[in-house]
Amino acid sequence: MSIPTLQGLQTALSGLLAEQSALDVTGSNIANANTEGYSRETAVLQPNPPLDIPAISTLTGQGAQLGTGVGVQTITRIRNTYLDAQYRAQNSALSNASTQTEVLSQAQAAFNEPTSASIAAQLSSFWSAWNSLADSPTGEAGEAAKVGVAEAGEQLARTFNELSSQLSTIASQVGEQYSSLTGASGEVHNLATQIAQLNGQIRLSEEAGQPPNTMLDRRDELLDKLSGLANVTVTEQSDHTDIVTFGDAAEPLVEDTTVNWPQALTEASGGELGALLNLTGPKGALTGLQTGLDGVAETLAATVNAQLKTPFFSGATATTLAVAVEPGEVQASDNGVSGNNEAALAVAGLRGGAAEEGYAALVEQLGSDVQDAKDEQTNLQTTVTAINDQRQAVSGVSLDEEMTNLITFQRGYQASARTMTAMDEMLDTLINHTGVAGL
Amino acid sequence: MTERITPAMVTASTLNDLNSSLTALERTSDELSSGKTILEPSDNPYGASRVIDLQSQLDGLSSYETNAKDGISWENTASSAMSSINSAAERVRELILQAANGTTNQSDLETIALQVEQLTEGIKQAADTQYAGQYVFSGTATTTRPYELGAGDEYQGNAETIGRAVGPGATVTVSTNISTLLGNGEASGDGKLLDTLRTTIKNLRGGTAADREALTNTDLQNLDGNLETLSELQATAGSATDQLQAALSRNEDLQTAISESLSNTDDTNVAAASIAYANEQAAYNAALRAGATIVQESLLNFLQ
Repeated sequence: MSIPTLQGLQTALSGLLAEQSALDVTGSNIANANTEGYSRETAVLQPNPPLDIPAISTLTGQGAQLGTGVGVQTITRIRNTYLDAQYRAQNSALSNASTQTEVLSQAQAAFNEPTSASIAAQLSSFWSAWNSLADSPTGEAGEAAKVGVAEAGEQLARTFNELSSQLSTIASQVGEQYSSLTGASGEVHNLATQIAQLNGQIRLSEEAGQPPNTMLDRRDELLDKLSGLANVTVTEQSDHTDIVTFGDAAEPLVEDTTVNWPQALTEASGGELGALLNLTGPKGALTGLQTGLDGVAETLAATVNAQLKTPFFSGATATTLAVAVEPGEVQASDNGVSGNNEAALAVAGLRGGAAEEGYAALVEQLGSDVQDAKDEQTNLQTTVTAINDQRQAVSGVSLDEEMTNLITFQRGYQASARTMTAMDEMLDTLINHTGVAGL
Repeated sequence: MTERITPAMVTASTLNDLNSSLTALERTSDELSSGKTILEPSDNPYGASRVIDLQSQLDGLSSYETNAKDGISWENTASSAMSSINSAAERVRELILQAANGTTNQSDLETIALQVEQLTEGIKQAADTQYAGQYVFSGTATTTRPYELGAGDEYQGNAETIGRAVGPGATVTVSTNISTLLGNGEASGDGKLLDTLRTTIKNLRGGTAADREALTNTDLQNLDGNLETLSELQATAGSATDQLQAALSRNEDLQTAISESLSNTDDTNVAAASIAYANEQAAYNAALRAGATIVQESLLNFLQ
C-alpha cells in the first residue's frame, strides 16, 4: 500500500488551516463593512496536489489519485475596473456640474431677484420717482420729489455697484479656488504624489508575490477623488503601476513613481477645475453676467441722460454708475421754466424700456443657466449613484453573505477537526490495540 | 439589475430617498409660506423675467393712476375758478344792460362802474387760483401769478402746456391758457375779457352819449364774445377731465388684468400646494418608517 499512514492527519490539518484563513478573511470583511473604498476580499482555495496511487485496484490494476486536502492559493479583492472607469468619467461630469451650480447659485443670490432689494424693484421705484416729479415739479412738493428722484437714483446706482462688486468677488474666489487646488501643496499635487508612491509600493509587493489589496483599494480611492477635479484616464501597466492622465494636460500626471505637476489645463478638462476655468473664461457665465450688467448700466445711463440737458448719471459700467447731480439740480423741465415737466415725463416714460428689458433678459439668462446646471447635476447624481450601486454590488461587503460564510467556514473547520479525530481514533486502534491478541 | 445588495447600498439609497423627499417637502413648504412659486430665477427663468416686466407695468399703472387723479383734481380746481369767472362776467353783462337802461343817471353809472371794478378784481383773483402750490393758469410758469392784482393787467405766465402721463405714451394736457380769455388788458386793445371790462368801466364813467352807445354796442358784443371763449375753455377742461376719468377706469381694468397675470405666473396655488404638501409628508413618513425597518434588518438578528 502506498498511502502514507499519517496522510489523513495532514489532509485534515490542511482543511483546518484553509478554513481558518477563510474565517480570517471573513472577519476582515466584516470589520471593514463600513470602510470607505474597501473591496471585499475572498480566500481563493485550491486543492493540494494529489497523491498518485499506482495500483489501487488489484482486479483491474488501475491506479488512482488521492486528494491531499486544500491550500489557500491567494487572497484576492473583488473589483470591476470597468465600473471604476465609468464611475470616474461620470464623477468628473458631476463635479463639473456641481461646481457650476454652486458658483452660479451664488451669483443668482447676489442678484436678489425677486425681492424689493433687487435692481428690478429699484428701477421701478426710480421711474415712479420721476413720475412724482412730473406731477409736482415746483414748490415744496417739487423739492421733495427731486430728493425722491435723487435718492432712488443713488440707491439704484449703489445696487448696481454692489452687485458688480459681488460678481467680481465671486469671480476672484473662483480664481483662488483654482489656484489653491492646483498649487504646490494643492489637492492635485497631493493626490498625485500619493498615487505615485502607491505605484512604487504596489510594484514591489506584486514582485514579492503578495497581492497588495489594501494599497490597490487606497489607490482606487485616490483616483476616484482625483476624478472629481478633472477627467482622468487610468492605464494599468504590466507591473501593476498606473499611468494617470489628467484633464487635457499635455503629460500624464502620474507615470510610474513620477509626478508631472504643475501643468496647464483648459476649460475642456472637465471636473471641478474645468468648471472653474470655464466660469471665469472669456465665454464663461460669470464673465457674461458682468458684461451683461455693465451693458444694462450703460443703457440706463445713456437713455436717462438723453432726456436731460445735464446728465443725471455718470459712469457707463455697473461699477462706476453714480448719480451726477445734487437733489436740487434734478431737472423736471426741458427748457428751464420751473413748472415745465417735459423732462420728468420723458424719463418716467422710459419705464419698460431698453434698460429694463436688458436686465430682465439677463435675469432670465442667469436663471436658465442655474436651472440647466442644477438639472444636469441631478441627472448626473442619479447616474453616479447607479454606477456606485453597481460597484457596491460587486465590491461592497454584504453582512448577510459574510454571516453565511462565517457559518460555512466555521462548520468546515469543525468538520475538518472531526476528520482529524476520526484519523486519530483510527491510528489509536492501529497503534494501541493492534497486535495485542491474547495479552 | 444588481446581484448583491449590501447594507451600505441600502443605507445610501434610504438616505438618498429621505433627502429627496425632504427636499420636495421643504420646497412646497417654502412655496406655501412665501405664497410665491418663483423664489429665485432658476425656479422659472422665463417666469422670473415676466414677473419683472409685469411688476414694473403694475407700478407704472399705479403711477398713471396717481397722475390721472392728480390731473382730475387740477381740472376741478381750474373748472371751479372758470365757473366763478363765468358768474362774474355774467353779472357784468347784467350790469351793462342795467346801465344801458335810459333811466339811470351818472351817479348810478358810477356805482355800477365800482361794482364792475370789484368784479374785475374778483376775476383776476380767480385766475390766480392755485392747486397744490402751483398757479393753474400760468402755463408752465406755475410759480408766477398769471395776473397781478390791482392796475396791471399784463399776463405774467406763458403759453406752454402741462401734461399728465396717463398711460405709456399717452399724455393729457391739464393746463388752460387763460390769457386767451383774459388777454393783456386795455393797453393792448386785444378785445379780451380784461380789455373789455376796463373799457366798460371807462365808458360807464365817460358820461357822454357815445359812451352810453358803446356800452350796449361794442362792450356788450365784446363781452358776449369773451363769454363764448370762456365756455370753449370750460368745454376743453371738461373734456380733459373726461379723458382722465376714462384713463382712470381703463387703468383699473388693466391693473386687475395684470395683477391676475402676475398672480398666475408667480403665486402659489394654495389648494394644490397643500395637497402636494400632504402627499409629500406622507411619502416622507413612509420613507422614514421603511428606512428605519429595513436598515435594522440583517441575518444577524436571526442567528443564534
